Amino acid sequence: MTTATRAQPKVSWRGTKLNRSTGAGWSFLAPFLIVYVVFLLFPVIQAVIMGFFDWDFLDISDRSFIGLENYGRMFWGSEMTWDIQQLWQWRLVGLALIPVVWWAANRRSLTRGSAVGLTILLVLLFGVALGVHPGEGGRWYDSQFWGSFGNTVLFVVMSTPLIVVVGLAMAVALNRPGRLVGLLRTMFFAPYVLSVAVLTLIWAFLLNPSQGLVASLWESIGLEPINWLNSTTWAMPAIVATTLWWTVGFNLVLFLAGLQDIDRSQYEAAELDGAGAWAQFRYITVPGLRRTILLVVTLQIIASFQIFGQVFIMTRGGPNGATRVAIQHIYESGFRDFELGYASAMSLFLFVVMVGISFLQFRFFNPEESA
Amino acid sequence: MTAAATVERAATPSDRTGRMRKTKRRLFLAFLLVAALVWVVPLVWMFSLSLTPNEILQRDTTNLLPQDPTLENFSSVFSVGLTPRWFLNSVIVTTITTVFTLILSAMAGYAFARIRFAGKRILFPLVLAGLMVPKEAMFVPLFLMFAQFDQHNTYYALALPRIAAPLGVFIMTQFFAAIPDELEEAATVDGAGRWRTFFSVMLPMAAPALTALAIFTFVLTWNDYLWPLVSATQREMFTITTGLASLQGNFAQATELGALMARGVIASLPLLILFVVFQRQLIRGISIGSGGK
Repeated sequence: MTTATRAQPKVSWRGTKLNRSTGAGWSFLAPFLIVYVVFLLFPVIQAVIMGFFDWDFLDISDRSFIGLENYGRMFWGSEMTWDIQQLWQWRLVGLALIPVVWWAANRRSLTRGSAVGLTILLVLLFGVALGVHPGEGGRWYDSQFWGSFGNTVLFVVMSTPLIVVVGLAMAVALNRPGRLVGLLRTMFFAPYVLSVAVLTLIWAFLLNPSQGLVASLWESIGLEPINWLNSTTWAMPAIVATTLWWTVGFNLVLFLAGLQDIDRSQYEAAELDGAGAWAQFRYITVPGLRRTILLVVTLQIIASFQIFGQVFIMTRGGPNGATRVAIQHIYESGFRDFELGYASAMSLFLFVVMVGISFLQFRFFNPEESA
Repeated sequence: MTAAATVERAATPSDRTGRMRKTKRRLFLAFLLVAALVWVVPLVWMFSLSLTPNEILQRDTTNLLPQDPTLENFSSVFSVGLTPRWFLNSVIVTTITTVFTLILSAMAGYAFARIRFAGKRILFPLVLAGLMVPKEAMFVPLFLMFAQFDQHNTYYALALPRIAAPLGVFIMTQFFAAIPDELEEAATVDGAGRWRTFFSVMLPMAAPALTALAIFTFVLTWNDYLWPLVSATQREMFTITTGLASLQGNFAQATELGALMARGVIASLPLLILFVVFQRQLIRGISIGSGGK
């Protein structure tokens, strides 16, 4: 301490060292930073700016400032009214989450403040916002926006629990030593390395009603053939099944890594106490995997929100727009209808929703914070 | 002694439950094996169809083993269409992207983990924030940027946006932060400068992390779909992924089915081979890449 006050030159020497290492730090960082700022940060800012413009694809210098018009066109319509019956099934499901929130709060998995916040959010979203719709003689300005966004949400809701639970079940089943088990893991993981084009090549034909394997299996047990990808009811479940096959290996790997961290002696102790397989899963595996589960669910939701390739190649969004998703709508608005400004505004909305959801998850369900 | 042990074990009542458990475990493994076999059926089917002559496929497409196997579908890949060109495009773009991702991520990770410099406290969170930006949602402004410089349908346009991935920096920062100080200090004492220390001491040590990152980047880039679809609109500049996608959508041309499946096999072979060889590294890449470990 005394040396620090006495040795004035040493301080300045330190200063120059810091300066020199600052130079080194920045020069090591510069190449990445330039690419990062130009190709990642700048586009986000650019998207915000473009969202306020009517920006033509065919002549990119042709643009005019239109304020919030793009957003009005996305979210709003003519003759808007509010109706208690509008989308009531969806809204009931959403509102049913409120008791779940309070149940979690009572179990102290959530703080009371968080529970109040979430309740307000759910009431505003499901109780109020979803009741707004165009009344008689009115229509949405962009009739396809909410439809495609809704399909994306539907895909997220259908695929996330399924792919997470199947991945977890596989990991628990395959979490044992042995060569054979290693081989099985490889087999379950293998589809993950295929590109989306190969995936769709296989599955579109697999589901083909006259030549595909699924159809021949289906008919061999005496069922009526179904044209899966051409049915408004079945197209989305077929896409979900395809995606499950393709990506569950990723979750399997993450869960296996998480399982490695659970102390095996806990299971041995539980076994001595006579705990069955389910009890062991419920009281050792699930609590031990809390961090991993949060991570997998978050990554899965983010990935599912970006669904595009499978649908675009297999159904082009059909039949009757039943599988048309948000990114397809953005893509077609920009590159088929040549409206880059409007497409940017929609990208930004999707971005904000995704960031919002990951924020909520880490804010409210972070096991370290609530524990 | 073994005999004694057996006798003793036979006498205990737990023996029966032990044997039952063993049978149960075998049954469970058998069940898993069947499930895994079913799981890979779609893949096996693609290979089978690609090896079957098109005449047979017009009658029957449900065989998991190729009937009258032939390589004519594969030879057609080289005589008809642009598949070899697309394959080459993918190889070029994926290689550029992987090499530059490794170099840039390693340098930036080293800076964040081992160098004290002004501005680090602001820059690191800024780079991490980039993890939140969904690549798929930001393709419109990116498109505009490359259009302004008239750079679409080039390898630059296909590779550059991928290199800006903060994930690699995150992985390399984690890795370099875990290396003990002494190793680096030893090099500095020997008179090696920052750059020499980095290239001759730190980089070789980072080989495992770099391999994992390389495999991961390779797989993601090879399989990228939306950006190449937007940026490369001339058929000659398609990647194998967008090219193969452009051939689909119309299975009415089922006369070409075998050839189509052969293209699918060719598009996936590099990754399947890479996966079999570097399976452990890829899996490591995933688990460190997602912040799980």
